[in-house]
This record gives sequence, C-alpha cells and structure tokens, in this order.
Amino acid sequence: MAFEAIKKVLAEAGDIARFTARFFSEAFRPRFEFTEFLRQCFFIGYKSLPLVAITAFIMGLVITIQSRPTLVEFGAESWLPKMVSVSLVREIAPVITALICAGKIGSGIGAELGSMKVTEQIDSMEVSGTNPFKYLIATRVLASTFMIPILAVIADAVSLYGGFLGANIHGAVSWTLFWNQVFETLQYGDIVPSILKTYFFGFAIGIIGCYKGYNSNKGTEGVGRSANSAVVISSLLVFVIDLLAVQISDLLNLT
Amino acid sequence: MNNMANETFRNIRLGVFVVVGTLLLVTAFYLVGNKQNLFGSSFRISARFYNVNGLTQGNNVRFAGIDVGTVETVNIENDSTVIVVMLLEKDVQKFIKGNAIASVGTDGLMGNKLVNINSVKDLGLSIKEGDELRTLRPLEMDEMVRTLNETNINIKVITDNLRSITEKISSKNSLWNVLLDTIVADNVKSAVVNLKLMSNDGIAITGNLKELARQMRYGKGTIAALITDTVLSGRINQTIVKLEKFSDTAAVISGDISYLVQQLKHGKGSMGVLLTDTMLVHDLNKSILRIDTAAGSFNENMEALQYSWPFKKYYKKKGKK
Repeated sequence: MAFEAIKKVLAEAGDIARFTARFFSEAFRPRFEFTEFLRQCFFIGYKSLPLVAITAFIMGLVITIQSRPTLVEFGAESWLPKMVSVSLVREIAPVITALICAGKIGSGIGAELGSMKVTEQIDSMEVSGTNPFKYLIATRVLASTFMIPILAVIADAVSLYGGFLGANIHGAVSWTLFWNQVFETLQYGDIVPSILKTYFFGFAIGIIGCYKGYNSNKGTEGVGRSANSAVVISSLLVFVIDLLAVQISDLLNLT
Repeated sequence: MNNMANETFRNIRLGVFVVVGTLLLVTAFYLVGNKQNLFGSSFRISARFYNVNGLTQGNNVRFAGIDVGTVETVNIENDSTVIVVMLLEKDVQKFIKGNAIASVGTDGLMGNKLVNINSVKDLGLSIKEGDELRTLRPLEMDEMVRTLNETNINIKVITDNLRSITEKISSKNSLWNVLLDTIVADNVKSAVVNLKLMSNDGIAITGNLKELARQMRYGKGTIAALITDTVLSGRINQTIVKLEKFSDTAAVISGDISYLVQQLKHGKGSMGVLLTDTMLVHDLNKSILRIDTAAGSFNENMEALQYSWPFKKYYKKKGKK
C-alpha cells in the first residue's frame, strides 16, 4: 500500500517533469500567442494586485508590531525599521505573495483548464488547428513567471509602508528616517536573491496549475480535485523552492 | 470594437502595473547602491592597521561622526599590517586633511565595526586620491580585560593590607588601646602642663628681649652705641664723599695717561723716541747682553770673595743657618 503510494507520487513527479520539458520545448518556438500572453498577464498580475497588496500591508504592519516588544527588551527599539525591512524583503513579502498567488492563480488555472479539458474544448481546439499547449499553457506559465516577481516587488514596497505605520503606533519614526534606515540596512544581497526566487515561485505556480488542469479527468468532480491539488502542490513547492533558494544564496555568501 | 477597446484598456492597466513594479525595483536598487557609494563620484584612500578587530568589506566610514563612505577591501599585507581601502564621497574630500587619523571603532556598544576618521588640530593639505591615513591602534577588549585583571590583583593586595591594618587596630596592643590608656593620658596631660610652663618662660624671655631692644634704641651699651651713634655715620659719609672725589681724580689721571700713551705711540717726546726707536732697542739688547756677562763675572768675583778670609766667617755662619 505504502509502496503503491510512493509509486504514485514518483509517477506524478515524473509526469510533471515531462510536462515541464514539453513546456520548454514548445513555449520558445514561434509562433507566439502574444495577445493571449498579455491577457493572462492582466488576469494573473493586475487582478491579483489588490489581494497581494492588502496581505502585504497587513503583514508589514503586524510583523512590526510583533517585533517591537522583543526589541524594546534589548533597548534596541531604534533598530525596528532595520529588522523589519530585512525580514520583510528577504522572506515574508515574496513568500506571502507566492502563497496568495498559489491560492488564487493556481486554483484559477487548474479549474479553468480542468473544465476546458472535461468539456473537451482542448481536444476541439487541437482539431481546429490551434496548438492548445502554446495557447493555453505556455501563455499562463510565462504570465505567472513574469507577473509574480512584479507583484512581489510591489508587496515589498507596500509591506514596508505597513511597517512604517506599525513603527509609528508606539514610537515616532519620521518618513525620511524610516526609509533611510531601510535602505541603509538593505543590500543587493538581500534584494536580488529574494526577487530571483519569485521567478521560480511564479513558474512553479503556473506549471502546477496547468498540469493539474490539463490532466483533469473524471468529469466535473475532477475539476474541483485538480483545482484543489494545484493549490496544495504549488504552495508546497513554493516552500521547497524557498528552502533551496535560501540555501543557495547562503552558500554563495549573498547575505 | 467594444471588445478591442476593452482589450486596450486592460493592456494599459497591465502596463501601468508592470512599470510601477519595475520602477520600485529600480528605485530600491538605486537607493541601496547610493548608500554604498556605487553611484556618484567618489575617491579612494587607504590606511594600514595593526589590527582591524573584525572590520569587513562594506562597513561604514565616518568622518567627524558622519557616514561618508564604505570599506572597499580589507587585505592582509604582512604579519603585522592590514591594509584597508576606503571609498569615500567626493564631497568630503576637501574637508579631510592629510594628517587626519583613522581608527577602527564600533557603532554603539555592540554594533557594526566602522572606521572613524578624525581630523587633528594642526593645519594640513586636503587629502588626495590614493593617499594613506595615519592610524590609531584600536582598543582591544582582550587588552582591556588584561589591564582590568592587573587592577583586580592590585585591589586584592590593597584590600588584604587594609584588612590586616584594621585587624591590628582592633587587636589588644593596638594604637587604639594606647589612646584609651589612662596613664598615657596623665603623662600627656603633665606634658601639656610642662609645655604651658615653658611657654610662660618664653613670654618672660621675650619680655627681656623687648627691654633690651628698648635700651638699645635709647643708646645704652656698646652695641647700642655702635648702632645709634650718629657722629660715626657722619664720618662714614664723609669718607664715602672723599672716595668719590678720589675716583674722579683717578678718572682724570687715567685720561691723561691715555693721552700720554697716544703721544708715545706717535713718537712724540724723548720717551716716545725711546720706545719707538728700533735702533735703540738693538743697542739696548746689546747693553743687556753686556750687563749679563758683567753680572756673570760679578758672580765669579763674589764666589771668590766667599773664600777670602775676611768674609769666610760670615758665609760659614750663613751656611749653618
């Protein structure tokens, strides 16, 4: 039984790898579905912005409020902006953005493609001469790969603004001083790895959502299941990739 | 057509979204770089330290307490020298003089290491690209602790001594007991009484002295005579006046003499001729030689005389003496 389960997981991992390989072989060959790519960018990027911004703002505010007591204990209250900026930019904002997008975009893509699959729209698309892989999957994966980093950058900015407000609840940190301290603390080694890893987050979210939707079966029930598993697997992958990214940037001394 | 307009509007919003995100990232990169002096004009200076206490690349450099740059590299030059290259803002170049002193410090008590550049009072030229600053040896925690340890040992010795002193004070044969002893107190009392008597005698003596002085003032006794005699002082005055006169005449005489010498030099008068005539000197030499020989023969004569009978007796007597 356990063997069966392991076999199933491994088979799925292999399947996902083959799906990814197919993406790379098809996505970078003409002809490109540029209009569809922009449309997906709009839905994945722009439409996720309010959700990501609100989450990031609250995270910034909350992290600042929660960090204060410990810093006060050390008498290092003035270090609040520095500490908060590092934790937000390096870890919290990118990961929160990726998780929110995994929930919103992963489930969206999984459900959309799944319903197209079970209603045999994808098959009919193939018949009509459109490459469904290029049109549906390549555009969505590329869109999420390029939009999530931008969302993460905006999330960084918004969460730092939340941090500024949080720092001013009990203390008094001027606008200029706050940003001065933030950029005094931040190094390229903080920003560049954290932005680079969001490309991988975006790619993982897109590819898992598409894989789950594209391989959906068992009718309407299967659509729900593929949406669900897309969210679960992509959220898990976000953390795995985060772990790898942090290890690599630590090994490369990008601190 | 409506669909197309809708599509364009979407694309515009997407464009704004992407541009805003990219701008934020670029701004962040610029601000971070700005803090590290990667942009804008800068210049490099170096300093050689014996010990940098954990200073690393990217640490701040402060001039007069203001962040003006960062540490670019920290390299070991040899077994006792670490060379630190610093990248500073161009704006502060004119304020940093060549004789400024660099030292490694700490931001706060436990903060990051940094390089402090402090100017000295003396005048100096502004620093140039690539110049090297003088350095101070940083304060090492270990060294401080070592010094503290020595201090502690000293304090221990001192407190030990203090303890033994206080023990001695509180023990039986102590100074304190001596102070408490009644016999000693009596002795001290009698000593004080004696002192009092002595001072009474002293008063009597001073009274006598006073009397003596009074008598002297009124011209009684020989010393008093000497001190109070007005006639004598008058005489002394006269003597001084005479001496003065004498010295005046002496001055006149010496003036005459100098005139005389002047005339002698210029060969005026018989004396002048005598002194300045070289022929005469020659003759005189000759005469002196003759006198010499004459004196020699005179001596011989005298010796002969010693042995002649009328004088023999006299010389014998002299020899005995």
